[in-house]
Amino acid sequence: MINKVVKNILLVCIIFVFTQNLQANNNVELKEHFLSKIDDVIVTVKNKKLSKDERNSNIIEIVTPMFDFELMAKLSLGKMWKKLSKEDKKKFVELYVDRMKKSYSSKIDSYSDEKIEVKKVKQVKKNRIVLTTDFINEKESLEIVYKYHKPKKPKEHKDTWLIYDVEIVGVSILKTDKAQFKEFLQTKTIIELMEALSKKS
Amino acid sequence: MRLIVSFFIVFIVVSFSGCSSKKIESPNEVFLSELNSEDEELDDFEDEFEVKEIYDPFSGYNRVMTSFNDNAYEYVLKPIANGYSYIFHEEIRLSVDKFFHNIYYPSRLVNNLLQGKFYNAYEETGRFVINSTVGLFGLFDPAKSSFNLQAHNEDFGQTLGFYGVGSGPHIVIPLLGPSNLRDIISLYPDTMLSVIHSTERSYWTLTDTIEEFLAIKSLEMINTTSLYMRDYEKLKADAVDLYPYLRDVYEQHRDKLIEE
Repeated sequence: MINKVVKNILLVCIIFVFTQNLQANNNVELKEHFLSKIDDVIVTVKNKKLSKDERNSNIIEIVTPMFDFELMAKLSLGKMWKKLSKEDKKKFVELYVDRMKKSYSSKIDSYSDEKIEVKKVKQVKKNRIVLTTDFINEKESLEIVYKYHKPKKPKEHKDTWLIYDVEIVGVSILKTDKAQFKEFLQTKTIIELMEALSKKS
Repeated sequence: MRLIVSFFIVFIVVSFSGCSSKKIESPNEVFLSELNSEDEELDDFEDEFEVKEIYDPFSGYNRVMTSFNDNAYEYVLKPIANGYSYIFHEEIRLSVDKFFHNIYYPSRLVNNLLQGKFYNAYEETGRFVINSTVGLFGLFDPAKSSFNLQAHNEDFGQTLGFYGVGSGPHIVIPLLGPSNLRDIISLYPDTMLSVIHSTERSYWTLTDTIEEFLAIKSLEMINTTSLYMRDYEKLKADAVDLYPYLRDVYEQHRDKLIEE
């Protein structure tokens, strides 16, 4: 009898350790992958042989597989998304993705000797990982949090874990966009929003 | 023996549970499920991005003040800051920045203590002592580079937030930018603890008259702008509509600071 109980406990322990291990592996893999990508970006930024445009397009090529821009575009519109026509959906996603890429490369542009350190990796749900980093330069150290999700079906030309939101010192890109689009759409139409986005990019 | 068998069973169960989730779907099913799975995926995120409505009864005034501030930045502050950074090397401007940071120590000390963050208060004190002496009146930061003492910025607005005081209506201050009622009220206790004053005090202060005060404050503002103007411009580039954008960025950032 006791033997059986002990065995059952042992079983549960094994399963627990096993799943924990899987999670830990996920985290380590994600962190390694993130750091290697960052290294690639830094090498590209520091490559003085490339022109500014070449550099930016190379960087975008490196980081694009890490981000789920399409999902960000959809989420940024909130409930409005479902009301859009098929063509508008497509056009909006294109504009949003383009804007994200431009915004990212313009931010990288002024990169000098900053350091990026991974502070914490935490799997908050089965399909969510939060990666907390510090972006350190001589002026200050900024906390940047990358939120990953794992789509049920892997997406073409994309990583298995994809970034769907970035929080810079507590300010979420997605939340801010969602709020400003919502306010914009209270007085204006989606067409005007798309015009504003295309002007920006 | 039975133990080995049960090990084996567990192993099989675990490895198969991985397989079952990767069920192969026929092409027709893939097509049909694409639309549904998109909705499902979005619903999964819905509660994560519940946008907090910001209490904003003064949005009309705020909007006007935001564009006034932005113009003041573009046409007055930025050209001055540009000229200033042309004259003074970045190293000097960083030191000036550190000097100002250092003399605001009393406010940080009191607010760390008020929030019960005693270790942070201790670190701040260590920083002040080291940087004011070895760091030549705060112009350098040996406390961080040699003693690994970290700064802990706390102001009275954060202290109030720490004890659950809400932010109140969002208010844009002329020249200073986004703020809210809680943080504006908090400016008063914080200036009482600052050595940069517009009036004569019973204790030692850096400035005694309104002229001295304005001169020092302007220097601080120009110096800060010269160091951080690129950040503001990068931030601004992502805005579709500047006012609500800056308002949200400010409120989210403050919430984060209070949470820490």
